[in-house]
Amino acid sequence: MNVTAALLPLLIVVVGAILVLLLEAFWKRTDKTPLAMLSIAAILGSAAAAVRLWGAGASAFGGMLRLDDAALVFTMIFFVTVVFTILIALRYLPRQNANFGEFYGLLLLALAGLMIMVSSPNLIVVLLGLETLSVASYALAGLKRDDDKALEAAIKYFLMGSFASGFLIFGLALLFGMAHTLEIPGVTAAFAAPEGATLLGLAGLVLVLIGFAFKIALVPFHMWSPDVYQGAPTPVTAFFVVGPKAAGFAILFKLVAPYAPQALRSQKILTMLGVLAALTMLVGSLTALRQRNVKRLLAYSSIANAGYMMLAVISGDGAGLMFFLAAYLFMSFGAFGSLIAMGGGGREFHELEDFAGIGFKYPWIGGLFSIFLIALAGFPPLGGFLAKYYVFSEAVKKGLTPLVLIGLLASLISAYYYLRIIVFMYMREPERDIDLDVENPALYLVLFLCLYGVLQLGLFPGNVLFVFKQAAASLFL
Amino acid sequence: MSIPILSLVTFVPLLGAVLLIFLPRERKTLLYSVALTLSLFVFAASLFLYFRFDAAAAGPQFVEKSAWLGFGIQYHLGIDGISLFLVLLTTFLVPIVILASWSYIQDRIKEYLIFMLLLETGILGVFLSLNLFLFYVFWEAALIPMYFLIGIWGGKRRVYATMKFVLFTMFGSLLMLAAIFTLSSLFFKATGTYSLNVFEQARMVLNPRLQTWLFLAFGLAFAIKVPMFPFHTWLPDAHVEAPTGGSVLLAALLLKMGSYGFIRFAIPLFPDAVETFLPALSVLCLIGIIYGGLMALIQKDVKSLVAYSSVSHMGLVMLAVFSLNVEGTLGAIYQMLNHGLSTGALFLAVGILYERAHTRAIKDFGGVSKQMPVFSAFFLIAILSSAGLPGLNGFIGEISCLYGIFAANKIYAVLAMTTVILGAAYLLWMFQRVMQGPITNEKILSFRDMGRREILYFAPIVVLMFWMGISPQTFLGKMEASVTAYVQRIKGRERVFVQKPGPSPAARRIDVREALSR
Repeated sequence: MNVTAALLPLLIVVVGAILVLLLEAFWKRTDKTPLAMLSIAAILGSAAAAVRLWGAGASAFGGMLRLDDAALVFTMIFFVTVVFTILIALRYLPRQNANFGEFYGLLLLALAGLMIMVSSPNLIVVLLGLETLSVASYALAGLKRDDDKALEAAIKYFLMGSFASGFLIFGLALLFGMAHTLEIPGVTAAFAAPEGATLLGLAGLVLVLIGFAFKIALVPFHMWSPDVYQGAPTPVTAFFVVGPKAAGFAILFKLVAPYAPQALRSQKILTMLGVLAALTMLVGSLTALRQRNVKRLLAYSSIANAGYMMLAVISGDGAGLMFFLAAYLFMSFGAFGSLIAMGGGGREFHELEDFAGIGFKYPWIGGLFSIFLIALAGFPPLGGFLAKYYVFSEAVKKGLTPLVLIGLLASLISAYYYLRIIVFMYMREPERDIDLDVENPALYLVLFLCLYGVLQLGLFPGNVLFVFKQAAASLFL
Repeated sequence: MSIPILSLVTFVPLLGAVLLIFLPRERKTLLYSVALTLSLFVFAASLFLYFRFDAAAAGPQFVEKSAWLGFGIQYHLGIDGISLFLVLLTTFLVPIVILASWSYIQDRIKEYLIFMLLLETGILGVFLSLNLFLFYVFWEAALIPMYFLIGIWGGKRRVYATMKFVLFTMFGSLLMLAAIFTLSSLFFKATGTYSLNVFEQARMVLNPRLQTWLFLAFGLAFAIKVPMFPFHTWLPDAHVEAPTGGSVLLAALLLKMGSYGFIRFAIPLFPDAVETFLPALSVLCLIGIIYGGLMALIQKDVKSLVAYSSVSHMGLVMLAVFSLNVEGTLGAIYQMLNHGLSTGALFLAVGILYERAHTRAIKDFGGVSKQMPVFSAFFLIAILSSAGLPGLNGFIGEISCLYGIFAANKIYAVLAMTTVILGAAYLLWMFQRVMQGPITNEKILSFRDMGRREILYFAPIVVLMFWMGISPQTFLGKMEASVTAYVQRIKGRERVFVQKPGPSPAARRIDVREALSR
């Protein structure tokens, strides 16, 4: 019973994915909406199966798959991410001439990979989930087969992803050599042992961390991400900046957080991560300053945001990390959703100049986009501010004041480039006429849900925060 | 009191802004009427506050407090003698500004009014919050509407001006945010509970070295907003580019957020650091006074003249705040109100001229009073109020400020006196060049005098100027108790000496190293 309960959410998603792929192969239809609906139904079913486990937990395969509260919270974040992705892609794909039913199947497979990643304490299983996710992601990035940029994105993603996996696997081998286990608690216990870590073990840990740093695009392992994020179809980009990153941070957190109170050697690892965080925040923000393409700008902003999340990881603040991810989920989907709204006649208008005058011509798009940008810039009373507030204040409490100051500086820089988009939308006269396809109810549904999310998390996050705190407690078990 | 009157005052403008979103943009009169009615309603509600305010009580009144986000973050509003009149000034000026915009703003009226009302909520929130977090939320939230007001309806260099304004202010406030984190975590380490309540935070006795850093963070945020020399460079840009309504609110209210911040937060929280920095701060104020005045003398543009006069006047206000005595503080608050009224009126007058001439350069005017006698009278009163003529409000404020400064340091007072001379010089010289003499520009011949609407919004300010000049006790009476308590808290505080060995059980003292190692 326990085994079934633990497997059920995953099973529903995988069955849904296979069903969608089969239907796509044998049921020739140009309208893919039923497939999308089927996918959403699968996710809702899975969510229903998952929610029942809250507080109780369940495990299968001798503990190789364990759904604790933290795993459930991350799973929920993934569900919302994927549902939003499907909804904003609904009209986007046909308009971009990329209406393949496989999109939904691949998305569900990626979701399954994500779920596996966060619900296993064993690093080998995590790796399996990661590979499932990655293979699906490579295909998703190259969905627009006739677009050079998309192909570049797919190949780059594939090459760099494989490279990162190489680091990861080698690191795992070394870790196993030291700890004789790849269960995360066992590994951390080996590092905490009185005789301390062996040099090779430490090297293994560093390699594993670098592997994940690639995946979540920390500077200096971020080179691939702007190209991939810019080249991939916009809904897929929105998925990339939230889903895989959330999973990567979850693993990273489990690996790193237990070291915080320990010996000197592991302190060095924290220092290394601190440097990565600082670089990520600064380089992400500074490079974003130079961008003229809004999609690429948001890609860099996602790098900067990864730096803030890194701060939560280093200070061992699980609830803060989850809260930041949740807020970032709504802000990003709001922003990328607005980018999708900036399309018309089969084209996408993502250059800064295209945004001139949009605020008055399309008040809803302009208004909503502005709100999400202001949230990303960290202005109260929106979700982004509170997310930063929690993360930064926890970090100050842990004595990470220099990193917090760098984070605040990065926020200041980021305010400039976010506000510059608003400058174009409201304070510049348009140079050419842009006609947008406004008919897109599913997109507006997502935008308004994101608006709700950003406001709710910014003003009354009480219950959400309570849930996250409870879940974060299970991270250390 | 069962009605949460402070929340009502703060959030009715916000509700109005939301309401305006759903009104049709073509119905201009409807939009204006709704905004005006709501802002008048808010003014009426705040008048109620004035009448029910207990002048004898020093602490905050009409307090509303409820749990919000945990970690000491509470929804905590309250009003005392220090904030009462700033709130009234806000609610008084917003309807006036809306009336004044009626003909000035021709397009995108709906958005303009929405941002106006949002700004009112932000400013009121700043003056009413007694929780550091809540204060910060409103402080930052007030930035966004102003950013749009300057950026959309401003002049040619509006984008530059508005970006400069936002980035300057944000730089300071982010440092303040870091200081708030630190305070929160220190309070937790000292007492085991979280609190961001201003009064509870002020009871925490901090190590002077720590105070220095925290004060610098808070002080910079406020000094940029005031703006104190040398952080004033954003102000002339923002003022020159902003639309009339934006300029009025910027000068009259947003700058007060800075000086209010010093009185409410920076000084009570870090009194030892203030004492250390007092000479430096006072010198900066003096430089601001003199430099602002001299710069105002040489401006070619009426609006930037008024902007520099703000730098000068706010320098005097800050110097009086730093005198740290009852007279000086009362004078500073009074002068904050005066500056709000007189500079607001000056910007309105400049707006009236600009609507007719579409220029603000002093050399394009001359002899306007022949064409506009009524306007001339109003303008002159505003100028005299700003220059501190006895019988008008500015006189009481300046005298009281100077009295306080004199009690603290005689040399400062002598130097600060120059504000009176310089003020009279640049203002009257400007009046002479713009309003008197022969008509040099034939465009002036077509100027019509103030219309009924213009008189309607200008007259209440003038009435108030006389009232505040003749019967200051109406206002000072309600401030005295709070200000006296404020000064006593600072003067009578427990002093901390770092070198003294041995812990004292009475003081909840926090040492940096100890706090960090824990």
